[in-house]
Amino acid sequence: MIDNKNTKNDQQASSLASQLEKTDTLSRRKFIKMAGAGLAVLSFPMSSALAFETKNNPKHNPKIVWVLLRGALDSMHTIVPTLDAQYAQLRPKLSKSFKSPLLPLEKGFALHPSLPNLHQWYQEKSLLPIVAVSSGYPKRSHFDGQDFLESGKGEIDHDSGWLARAIEVKNKSALAVARSTPISLRSSLVNAEQVNTWYPSKFKSADEDIYVALNKLYQNDEALKEKLTSALAVKGLVDDNGQNKRKGKFNDLAKSCAKLMTTEQGVDCAMLELGGWDTHNNQSTRLARKLTELDSGLAELKAGLGDEWQNTVVIIGTEFGRTAKENGTGGTDHGTASALFLAGGAVNGGKVKGRWPGLKSEELFEQRDLMPTSNSFSWFASVLSQHWQLSEQELQQVFPQVKSYDEALIKS
Amino acid sequence: MSENSMSSTLISRESIAVNRFGYGARGDELAHAKADPKKWLSSQLQTIEFSDNQPSSDDVFVAHAKFQKQKKLMKQQQKQAQGSQAQDKNKMIKSAARKTYMKMSAASLKQAITSKHSVSWRLLDFFSNHFSVSTSGRLMVGLSPTLEREAIAPNLLGNFGEMLLAVEQHPAMLIYLNNEKSFGANSRMSKKRKVGLNENLAREIMELHTLGVNGGYSQTDVIELAKGITGWSVKNTKKEHGTGFVFRTYGHEPGARILLGKKYAQRGIMQGQQMLRDLAMHPSTAKYVCTKIAHHFVSENPAQSLIEKMQKTWLNNQGNIKQVMLTLFDAEEAWLESPQKFKTPREFVISSYRAIAPNRINDRTLFNSLTNLGQMPFNAGSPAGFSDEESDWLGASALMARVEWSSLVSAQVKRINAEQVMATALGSSISQNTYQMVMRAESRQQASTLLLMSPEFQRR
Repeated sequence: MIDNKNTKNDQQASSLASQLEKTDTLSRRKFIKMAGAGLAVLSFPMSSALAFETKNNPKHNPKIVWVLLRGALDSMHTIVPTLDAQYAQLRPKLSKSFKSPLLPLEKGFALHPSLPNLHQWYQEKSLLPIVAVSSGYPKRSHFDGQDFLESGKGEIDHDSGWLARAIEVKNKSALAVARSTPISLRSSLVNAEQVNTWYPSKFKSADEDIYVALNKLYQNDEALKEKLTSALAVKGLVDDNGQNKRKGKFNDLAKSCAKLMTTEQGVDCAMLELGGWDTHNNQSTRLARKLTELDSGLAELKAGLGDEWQNTVVIIGTEFGRTAKENGTGGTDHGTASALFLAGGAVNGGKVKGRWPGLKSEELFEQRDLMPTSNSFSWFASVLSQHWQLSEQELQQVFPQVKSYDEALIKS
Repeated sequence: MSENSMSSTLISRESIAVNRFGYGARGDELAHAKADPKKWLSSQLQTIEFSDNQPSSDDVFVAHAKFQKQKKLMKQQQKQAQGSQAQDKNKMIKSAARKTYMKMSAASLKQAITSKHSVSWRLLDFFSNHFSVSTSGRLMVGLSPTLEREAIAPNLLGNFGEMLLAVEQHPAMLIYLNNEKSFGANSRMSKKRKVGLNENLAREIMELHTLGVNGGYSQTDVIELAKGITGWSVKNTKKEHGTGFVFRTYGHEPGARILLGKKYAQRGIMQGQQMLRDLAMHPSTAKYVCTKIAHHFVSENPAQSLIEKMQKTWLNNQGNIKQVMLTLFDAEEAWLESPQKFKTPREFVISSYRAIAPNRINDRTLFNSLTNLGQMPFNAGSPAGFSDEESDWLGASALMARVEWSSLVSAQVKRINAEQVMATALGSSISQNTYQMVMRAESRQQASTLLLMSPEFQRR
């Protein structure tokens, strides 16, 4: 798709050149750079920077995809602890609500039947479920919980996210499949060219020459100018003109995400978000549907990544867990410990990690929630250390509060 | 945000009044506001009346019951005959509900676009987002747009406590946050069938509607409030006479409750109502909501002194929203001359149409505009509502979508006169660069696109 467009784009680029002649020198310099890259539509410095990075590491280009499930996934309805006798007692209705047999894991855990792809990866040893984890966020507000998880500093910082700090340390590049940058990828120290956002647009494209004029219009507004530049860098890399009506669905987002990661200038990491996990009622039906959406979207991501899947770690997490006991309306309320998944060809999977704390009343946190036995950030740190080779010192910049675990999470 | 404002043009007082506090200038509003911007602002606070004949929440319930009955019937038919025809009909009814929701959302937008009191519409939208409900599930598709019409608009210039009570007893909120089936474990109802508590509404009342997440409540308080509002439910249209809110006495958790250290010995519905009245006048609530109002209208970093003035008015005037707004208008801290905020998609679309004032706006076009710019009406997808932060709206793809939208609108409106739109919307508050770029554009369409995308129009 990109190849076909090249000739046309070159023409567009040269007509843009004459217009840019009239504008200031800064934009002319930028234009020369972008014309050199010869990318689809207008390409800007981001693309050339990335191309450089890829050339340096032609073979091993370890990728990370961070999938944030917003709304607090009920881990006990996803990685079901059939080993624990208390489980069925605490959840008399929910434990009997599965429409087909659970998919067995080791140690008496089992996956929800709506996760067949994840289960297959588990059998292929490229899925690692981790039970009873928490970010350390002590309360039960979704919004603060998500911000805390995205910040990764042991406190909420709306301007600094853990993934952005990792990118900064290792000089990587990232893309958020979102309209604007989520906290995870925010950092004042990250170069604007390293982090981009992309989201499918339903509008018809505007005429190309408007972008040249806008570039000049924004000469005194740094923020607008920066976003325009970033947007132009990814514009045209994914074909989002018309054909797909179900745009915005997780499946399609995952597919486009894979595409943006595997183009010649593909990014080192990406972030996807999926909401709708706040199951205070009717949990059985709702989670069956949501988990199917997650499972098939991740399968789409794997298919799109192709060979790159072997270099990829997908981290799937949520802000906190839900009450151990089911509530009065066929659901669960806000809780504490939840679960993580690590998936991908690079993952040393096929096991269940994390210590199970038990579900007896005295074993629960505040006698209502699953007790956390390990820290999400420490697991993330272990991934960063083994997959992106962050040193202890570098990890301190990303997660100042925690240390990585001594567990082999990545295939050697 | 504020660094770049250094180099931007200062905004005139009348432009601040109209563009920062309202939905943007329409017609000769700038001229009207010029003589006395503060006086103009206070005259903007008018009761909102919906001039359309859209369905009420009662109508929504009746239609929903009908839908369920037909669905059941069709399922039976499907079993007997081939289902294709029945399925078509099912789809038709489904899309009818969507259509009503779309029309209601567009109707509110249109009134905001044409209103002579757009400041009141901004205020309505602020509280509609403060008490955010989303269209999750078929019933909520119909119910979501009724909350602002039935519970928020009638109390918009009154006391916050009254609005709070109306909202938390409205079926849209009760169903959205699952309180309609939350019953006491020791209630009479529990003796007949297995019922229990659902904490969702109680938690969000304190976290999002009143005290704020750091407002000083505990998990115990969440449970106490949840118990206090057990039995706040919605009539089952199929089994009961009528529709709407109902208090189910036999599902209410008996006994006195302790919320934030205060004892509530009231019986029945009075218990929860008193809890809400007290929450509305709690100092944390005054602080939280006033900060949010200042943050929305004025700046992401509003002056502490501004918030304190508003809080004081709140606590001295029974949480009267009109008085709080008058205090805001009167405070010099609210009149910063440089642009402070990046418009949300809703503000951007409404202010664009107010400035352009096309003869006709298609409902679906309007609705889709919001949807595709990332702010689909009643679809924040979280009870926290849509974000009010620049960092959540000013993204690369978001900006691209705005460019595309501006270009589309500029092409759709015949013989669009960018110079006139510029004068209407911004008056003299425009930089030389923008003025020249707009005037020297190569086409009408490009001129108008540039104007709508200019820093002066995108920010306020």
